[in-house]
Amino acid sequence: MSVRASRKALAAFALPGCITLGLFFLLPVGAVMSGALTDGGAFVRLVNDPVFWNGLKGTLVLGTAAPLFSLIVGFCIALTLARLAPKARTAALIAISLPLTFSGLIVAYGFILLLGRAGFVTLLLAKLGFDPAVIGGFIFSPFGLGLAYSYYLVPRVVLIVLPAISNFDRNQLIAARSLGAGAGRALIDVMLPQIAPSLVAAFCLTSAVAVGAYGTALALVGTQVNILPLVLYSKISETGTDLPAASAASLVLIAICVLIISLGEAVGRKGGASKVTRQN
Amino acid sequence: MTLKYENVSFTYPGATTGIFDISLEIGKGELLAIIGASGSGKSTILKLLAGFVSPDRGRIVIDDKDVSALSPEARRLGVVFQNYALFPHMRLWENVAYPLKVRGVAKGERQSRALDMLGRVGMRNRADDLPAALSGGQQQRVALARALVFDPQGLLLDEPLSALDASLRVEMRDEILRVQRASGIATLLVTHDQEEALSIADKVAVMRDGRLVQIGTPRELYETPANAYVAGFVGQSNLWQGKVRSHGVVESEIGSFACDTQGRSPGDAVTVFVRPERVLPVADSEPKSAGGELPASHFSGVVDADRYLGPIRRIDLKVSGGLIRLETHLRDAVTSVRIPADAIRLLPAN
Repeated sequence: MSVRASRKALAAFALPGCITLGLFFLLPVGAVMSGALTDGGAFVRLVNDPVFWNGLKGTLVLGTAAPLFSLIVGFCIALTLARLAPKARTAALIAISLPLTFSGLIVAYGFILLLGRAGFVTLLLAKLGFDPAVIGGFIFSPFGLGLAYSYYLVPRVVLIVLPAISNFDRNQLIAARSLGAGAGRALIDVMLPQIAPSLVAAFCLTSAVAVGAYGTALALVGTQVNILPLVLYSKISETGTDLPAASAASLVLIAICVLIISLGEAVGRKGGASKVTRQN
Repeated sequence: MTLKYENVSFTYPGATTGIFDISLEIGKGELLAIIGASGSGKSTILKLLAGFVSPDRGRIVIDDKDVSALSPEARRLGVVFQNYALFPHMRLWENVAYPLKVRGVAKGERQSRALDMLGRVGMRNRADDLPAALSGGQQQRVALARALVFDPQGLLLDEPLSALDASLRVEMRDEILRVQRASGIATLLVTHDQEEALSIADKVAVMRDGRLVQIGTPRELYETPANAYVAGFVGQSNLWQGKVRSHGVVESEIGSFACDTQGRSPGDAVTVFVRPERVLPVADSEPKSAGGELPASHFSGVVDADRYLGPIRRIDLKVSGGLIRLETHLRDAVTSVRIPADAIRLLPAN
């Protein structure tokens, strides 16, 4: 028998959340929207600016490549963690989740200290005969930026995918092996289809994070790499400040993130719905 | 095809448990059941044959070929798991067709063979369902079909009936036997259920602490157990410690028995073993020497427990020095019993 809470009690519980949503999401988005729309030329100026299109392209590439790389790495880590004893798994999870507590700036400086032109790894590799200019320049390139993003995207992937892998009945993999499938084939045929919704969710979430990330990119590549968050930054900080265009760029960024998350939800729901349909 | 273990030993990493110096052979069309308590190593035996673990010593041989180093997929053995391990995202026919799919069989042919196999286990009409829509017994049938569809060299059954209700278990073990006999395949059944093993196996092996204690036909195992452990593990039994007093007489903790003592000398310590159904109630009016037995094999006492099991009663009769367990279809009160000499076997003393 369930006990129903009264409408008033439910409303009281929902109130703090509603206030937070209104103050810190709806109000700012409304302000940005108003900023972009009150100046009728903001969107026109934005779409006529080749920097915007380059930024959009860079954002889409980075928002796909970094999450994809993180998904592969995170999936492998989650597979390993799922096999550990509970205590060891908890300890490893704490260590893996640590990067999530760091700000993007700290991550960027960490990478500079490690892989920058005078970085520890760069100097070490230089002693082994590698060109320090090439090694040291890597972290300031789009690929280097992607690697730095992965530093805090991988933990997100692990945290999303691990429960699905842990709950997966490993006997199915053993059964597939005994039926003639190799280890890789068993994984692809049997495990991946069953954990696909969590993989899609992990990709979409990390993609949205990568699209909106700003601190790490600014610290690492400044405005050398064209991505939308840095285009936005340039429109509010440089001499040619254009706040309405910055608002328009913000709306584009929000739209991309909403689209990615919606896509993830749709795929997840479709997977769930087809499961239900097939069971019926 | 024959499946063989040749002096196989295996211990789990960081542990002392495993199996030690096991030699077994399962002939073509034969069903060998392995029984034993938890931790006795019976599941390890199956894992070694399936290729899920590799032996530390000895060889696993399938049809005269050493497969000890081969991966599970290269051994061509059908395995039915305790929880069936059906793939929940695949329809039943897709589950059954999976071994054919990984072997590159064309879709049309694999579907046809899968449907045929599902028909053999009575599940063809559910071919398009998902496993979640099935009962335990139905899933078990599909798992059996999947394990047999690719004509494996052997069939391995890992406690296949343990998740089923008691009534369904009896039905399914007959089904397994029917399908196994029809396919004529060497089969290894691992189970903790001795009744299941005795009822369908050609041979039964009893494991204890990673070692093979006895292997034989169900009848051999039941009627002539090698020692007190097997006697106690397989079926109900009376086991009393005793000593041979003289030729044909054994003195035990509950009194003396008249029995065959051939091969033993007076003073030898023995375990006296009698199955409960071989203990015969004696009516009060019946003379003590009835049936030609010596008075030494007669006992009187009071009933300690009387369990009604439908067709029979299982009674514990408290006698001087211990208990006698008997099974009888009689409904009368029991105060005296006799044990025929041919019902008594002398086993090594504990």
